[in-house]
Amino acid sequence: MIRALVVDDEPYAREELRALLAGHPDFQLVGSCGNAVEALKGINRDHPDVVFLDIQMPRISGIELLGMLDPETMPRIVFVTAFDEYAVAAFEENAFDYLLKPIEPDRFEKTLTRLRRVSGQPQPLGTLQIPPLAHIPCYAGSRIRLVRLPEIEYAYTDLSGVHVVTAEGASYTDLTLKVLEDRTDLVRCHRQNLVRLDMIREIRLLDNGCAEITTRSGQSVPVSRRHLRDLKLRLGFPA
Amino acid sequence: MQVVLSLLQQMSVYLLIAYLFSKTPILKSLFTVSMRLPSKLTIYVVFSGFCILGTYLGLEMLGAIANTRATGAVLGGLLGGPAVGFLVGLTGGIHRYTLGGFTDVACGLSTTAEGLLGGLVHLWLVRRGRMETLFDPWTAVAVTIVAESLQMLIILAVARPFDQAQALVQVIAAPMLVANATGAGVFMSMIRDRRDMFEKYGQLSSAKALRIAERTVGITLDGLTKEAAEKIADIVYEETGVGAVAITDREKLLAFKGIGSDHHIPGTVMQSPHSLRAIETGEVVFATGKENHYACSISEHCKLGSCLVVPILADDEVIGTIKLYEPKTKLFLNINKTLGEGIARLLANQIISGRFEQQKNLLVKSELKLIQAQVNPHFLFNALNTVSAVIRDNPENARTLVLHLSNYLRKNLKRGGDTSSLREELDHVTSYLEIEQARFADRLRVRMEIDDSLLDLQVPTFTLQPLVENAVKHGISNVLGQGRILIRSEILDDGSVSLLVEDNAGVYDQAGLGSSGLGLGIVDKRIKNMFGQDCGIAVECAEGEWTRVRIRLPKRELVAA
Repeated sequence: MIRALVVDDEPYAREELRALLAGHPDFQLVGSCGNAVEALKGINRDHPDVVFLDIQMPRISGIELLGMLDPETMPRIVFVTAFDEYAVAAFEENAFDYLLKPIEPDRFEKTLTRLRRVSGQPQPLGTLQIPPLAHIPCYAGSRIRLVRLPEIEYAYTDLSGVHVVTAEGASYTDLTLKVLEDRTDLVRCHRQNLVRLDMIREIRLLDNGCAEITTRSGQSVPVSRRHLRDLKLRLGFPA
Repeated sequence: MQVVLSLLQQMSVYLLIAYLFSKTPILKSLFTVSMRLPSKLTIYVVFSGFCILGTYLGLEMLGAIANTRATGAVLGGLLGGPAVGFLVGLTGGIHRYTLGGFTDVACGLSTTAEGLLGGLVHLWLVRRGRMETLFDPWTAVAVTIVAESLQMLIILAVARPFDQAQALVQVIAAPMLVANATGAGVFMSMIRDRRDMFEKYGQLSSAKALRIAERTVGITLDGLTKEAAEKIADIVYEETGVGAVAITDREKLLAFKGIGSDHHIPGTVMQSPHSLRAIETGEVVFATGKENHYACSISEHCKLGSCLVVPILADDEVIGTIKLYEPKTKLFLNINKTLGEGIARLLANQIISGRFEQQKNLLVKSELKLIQAQVNPHFLFNALNTVSAVIRDNPENARTLVLHLSNYLRKNLKRGGDTSSLREELDHVTSYLEIEQARFADRLRVRMEIDDSLLDLQVPTFTLQPLVENAVKHGISNVLGQGRILIRSEILDDGSVSLLVEDNAGVYDQAGLGSSGLGLGIVDKRIKNMFGQDCGIAVECAEGEWTRVRIRLPKRELVAA
């Protein structure tokens, strides 16, 4: 059974894919999402094997969404687009396949056949050629917030998940700490913390070889012994 | 009496020199009342010269010199101001001092004082804004009388022995007062007459040039055509009063007006060597009929005797000539020569701006074609994809969608013409919105509030469409929730009409003239072209909340079909 997720901002486009998939009992549709934020949540929750992904979507495009996914658990991506074949070609390295709308059933069959063939095999890790993230989708209560990267002071992970913190406070995000570290300019300072260098006001060295950062808005972030050396080097101090 | 007469005789020689001088171009710098140094320097040099001349022409009597020196000093001061007057007086005074005699110091002093006096009067009149009084000969007479009286007092006060001074003053006072006052008055009146003449001459020719400019505006918008040439030839002929006017292109005569029009037939190929030379070299050719002989190349009975050929240069290239003729019985006036060159320049400029205007119109037209042809492929294929999905569960709806799509495409491809009624615009927009609403379902809400009385309003074709497409694009692509579009007509108290397109995305891209700007920019241009600069597009944006694009149109009665 191959688990599929459909991401498109147009309901009929999702409906079309659902109908096309319905004729193939070895494919299971685990969800359909109307935007990238929902998709991120769905992918992290359901771990689909393949995502049929529209490129042009509100606020966060399909390509930006790719950059928000953890490369380790990245599903196979099939771009579905009306006219972006050139854009798709440019990002082909990151995608398994792409389909043009309206989708031809024969062409769709071919994609499914290819998916069946690789099913169960690990995905070769390509290098993502994606521009760095500009904003991080977060939840503030029931609302979705897009936090601009330069406003973030630090990020942390705890039992409830990953949070990014700005001067205004913390927001939950579906992005993993690893993705944030890889795709943004946040720097690792602790197993559970990333910090933005230009948000550091001071670093207090502690007796046990650890340290504590105070950010511009006065919040403290722990620095582990292991990451202190690297952090000092980055800030231009002799280690 | 003897002294008066001989002094007046001296004065006549002096004035003769002054008269000859007034014929030179140097005179021009005297009546500008300009505060610039070069004019001041000229005045100083000229009147110091006259001062010294007055001394030389003087009569030796009683050990002193009866003279007309004061005229130069006073006029120098009156025309040049206190500093110049003082210096002129000083120069004249020092010169007089070097000639010696018992009044040398007194005369030196008094000449300086006279110059200064003239200068002070200049200052006083200028400060009061009474320039005209400055050039009044009577002012010069009065000031000279005062100045000469002053000189007599200085001689009495300074020159020694006093008896001799007194005797001298008794003899020379009256003659010098009369002679100098007369001289100053006449000299000033010469200057004033010359000035008036210059002004009148200048006014006349600039008035003529202005009238020609005014009347020829817009005639050459389509270039130098036969019709344009005929109109221009008529105007130039009427305004300049020359014998005849011809306008040619590079090869043939386009228009001819005036003497000799019986054999100078428009359309004939040019033969005149003068014209050919002007076209070839791009230089003005002037055949006065004397040293540079002019003879009509067509008929030997032609009455025309002199000719000016001015090439019309547009972008460094001769595109034709304008020719002014005078008959053999008349001299070719210099003023008409300058005028002819001016007219050629004027025509050239108008032709260049006409070309520019034409290119601009072409550009707007091709830009419009571009938005017309610009059916967004993304929209088109997504629409087809939607239709394909709708067919599955509601063929009837799918059919409606196909009809809307056809209507939209047909309008986009076929709408010719510059204007459409608001009804047609809305029809186009409605088809577009029907498809978008099918595509996005709940994510797009459209409200349309258009006053029925406005439906016949004429607007440039493709006014509403680009704005609505923009609003949908923003509304859909930047709002994760529901995109809302409002299209509304507004009639203001003064009767002017505007159309509002509002979305709830609040994306500000360079006043809406950025990436999507091609469309909006053209809409704005076209509305301004049709209704004037007060109309057009205004964009307001509250970032993240709404964008309002308003199309301002003129009052309703003006736009109604």
